[in-house]
Amino acid sequence: MEANGQVKTTAVKGTDTAREVRALVKKIYSAAHEAKAEGRKVAYIMVASQYDEIIRAMDIVPLPTENYAGLCAAKRDMDRFLLKAEADGYSQVLCSYARIGLGFDSMRKELGHIPDGSPDGGMPVPDMMLGSSAVCDPRFKWFQATSRYLAAPTFGIDVVAPPPQADLSEVRDYYIKYQRDQLQALVVFLEKQTGKKLDKERLWEAIRLGDRAWQLWYDIDRLRVAVPCPMPSQDHFSIMVAGHYYTGTQIAVDFYQKLYDEVKYKVDHKIGVVAEEKNRILYGGGLPPWHTLWIFNYFESFGAVFVIENVYRGFDPVEVPSHVKDPIDYLAWRAFLRFTRYHDQARARSGNPTVEKLLDMIEDYKIDGVVFHACRSCRATTIGQTHMKNELGKYSDLPMMQLVSDMVDLRDYSEAQWKAQISAFIEALAARNRQ
Amino acid sequence: MTALQNIEEIYENRGGRARELRDAGKKVIGYFCCFVPDEIITAFDMIPYRIQGSQSDPIDEADAFLEPMACPFARSCFNMALKGEYDFLDGFVAPHSCDTIERMYHIWNSNKPSPFNHMINVPHMMGPSSDAFYKKELQYFIVRLEEFSGKKLEADKLRDAVNLYNRRRALLRELYELRRENPPRVSGTEITKVLVAGMGIPAIEHIELVLAFIEEVKQRPQPKPDGLPRIFLWGNEIDDIAFIKLVEECGAHVIMDDLCTGSRFFWEDVGQTDDPLDGITRRYLCTHCPRSLEPQAGNRKEDLENRFGYMKDFISRWQAGGAIFYIVRYCDTCELEGPDLREYLNSLNVPVLMIEDDYSTSTMGQLRTRIQAFLEMIG
Ligand code: SF4
Ligand code: SF4
Repeated sequence: MEANGQVKTTAVKGTDTAREVRALVKKIYSAAHEAKAEGRKVAYIMVASQYDEIIRAMDIVPLPTENYAGLCAAKRDMDRFLLKAEADGYSQVLCSYARIGLGFDSMRKELGHIPDGSPDGGMPVPDMMLGSSAVCDPRFKWFQATSRYLAAPTFGIDVVAPPPQADLSEVRDYYIKYQRDQLQALVVFLEKQTGKKLDKERLWEAIRLGDRAWQLWYDIDRLRVAVPCPMPSQDHFSIMVAGHYYTGTQIAVDFYQKLYDEVKYKVDHKIGVVAEEKNRILYGGGLPPWHTLWIFNYFESFGAVFVIENVYRGFDPVEVPSHVKDPIDYLAWRAFLRFTRYHDQARARSGNPTVEKLLDMIEDYKIDGVVFHACRSCRATTIGQTHMKNELGKYSDLPMMQLVSDMVDLRDYSEAQWKAQISAFIEALAARNRQ
Repeated sequence: MTALQNIEEIYENRGGRARELRDAGKKVIGYFCCFVPDEIITAFDMIPYRIQGSQSDPIDEADAFLEPMACPFARSCFNMALKGEYDFLDGFVAPHSCDTIERMYHIWNSNKPSPFNHMINVPHMMGPSSDAFYKKELQYFIVRLEEFSGKKLEADKLRDAVNLYNRRRALLRELYELRRENPPRVSGTEITKVLVAGMGIPAIEHIELVLAFIEEVKQRPQPKPDGLPRIFLWGNEIDDIAFIKLVEECGAHVIMDDLCTGSRFFWEDVGQTDDPLDGITRRYLCTHCPRSLEPQAGNRKEDLENRFGYMKDFISRWQAGGAIFYIVRYCDTCELEGPDLREYLNSLNVPVLMIEDDYSTSTMGQLRTRIQAFLEMIG
């Protein structure tokens, strides 16, 4: 995500393709405004809810409210929305994405129009709001609260994953069935809202595009095992826009194809992010600090490059059995297989699928150190980081650190403290290099 | 010893009875929140034990495992586990109540495992397919308990357990009826002791205690009208008397609640169904917790009525003059629910004081002035 003049951001030697993301982000919001003007349906959505392709197949224009919050932060225009939500009674510790969304909706209602100067033209009033229990609690509860400010119908679905200890052969069928039932209920709701039947062929087409884009994205990430690193994490936090906000479209496929070609070229020609790559860092988890993305460049100024990350990632490709003939069944199966991808491995070793994934990354990407970002207002991506650090420590002796702030709320951030912490971390990496 | 003294002793020494029973060969299964059916554990002849934290002990050891921005109730429970205070548990069961409990299950399981560990996935959405899924999850829980205990679950035992807990529910409702008097002969502080004490002992013993306590309360003389405001409490975990005592000391009667540690866990009965698991499934999914999402019903006004209408009865029959929300900090679903519920209660002309707190007795002093000001305003 780009920022205004005051904020230093983006890697100097990132990919060229990542620069095209800015236009994709703008288009999310302009497309919604256009759709409204033309009388087509617009929906507030939550990314990674496993329903993206259904929305595309039904010609509904998705408006990702979380992304809008991140955008406001990157533009350093979040405080007015945060303060508005707090004035309306929302706690200062509630998810700051939700606070920005609620504050924005509250202001728009009060003013009778989109607040002046809202980043990228702001979000129009949606025709519906689609929450989900994937990832965290606020994502299914937030739109219910939003109905205080606007009258659009809301609908939520459960997205379920079994705990890693579960015997998958015992639970698989009913998890998939429930996922299917939830997605089917969403279809019924959307058919009512749009007055149109879901065209299953179109859904298959969207799924095909979705799978193709995510396969390419996966392949790109696999290319990033190369030394020197061809694409840094800063780019990841831009290029994920195609995978999460354009899932099920040709746009995402074309974008990732182009990015793939560029990254491949860089790998083949050994073109790295920094002139001298001293250390390779894993971004272990936590939402990125949208307000301070230049911090990645700061690490790079010491020769430490973020080569891979464990947030906002696509899922690894999975193989849905060929007997699954219905597209909704396919989505339910795919979700289950995605969520349980590391379960067997976890049962055999650490007990924790995320730890397993991180250990794989550490090995494959030749990682020298791990950085986590704890966000004070995001429980879902923060709780467990300390535990993961502890667990990783059982299997590796890499230096690890946890930066603390928030994904958007600057009141939780201290530059001086971060720089001090980073310097100690860089020192630990250097000591390791000397060994 | 009076019934109240008995209750106070158990309240003060929460794990004591469970430890005794364990020493006598019983298995004790610890669990969180209001979603794990006591009936199932009891039908296996095991003792369900609702895990609680401690508002008076500082959270000192959990920080090495669990981030400080996790719900302090959950952190406190884990802190106690780390200190060995839950070593008597044979089983540890966490429902997927919220992000924090779900994450903590894994952390607890890795660092302080019990002989039996299990997580139950509880749907967030309410609807027919959620019922079917939750029933499956409960069946899987039963399978795991069968493996652990080496015994098959007997349907009759499950039915008996349903009746036993319904009996306790009825008695607790009867006790709550006494709170309708003005002024009530039983305080909110006493009620909290009764309920919290009951979370760590077999239901059958709790029933005896509640029966005796009700008799005691009925013997008390009727106090003179005092004109003090009557307060309805809403929130999540209040397993310590400190906060309620503070409200009462500030000059109010706490007369009704919708709390995880209050009416929420016992108000509704388990329905009689051919397969007792159907009634259990329905009952436990209907628990009024903000972490569960009711499908939207009609316009805003109708939707609020649908979500919160059950509280209307609490307000009118218990004649609440004001409501205080006690929200444990970092509980996202409660934080999102609070303003909506305030809007609804205000529409019933019930003034609301919304408090967010750290689940700690050390911060109580700071709350006193706010509570006093609120009581003065509504008084
Ligand atoms: S709590 Fe975290 S994951 Fe959930 S909506 Fe907020 S930022 Fe997103
Ligand atoms: S109080 Fe809220 S955050 Fe804490 S355990 Fe209960 S539901 Fe979860």
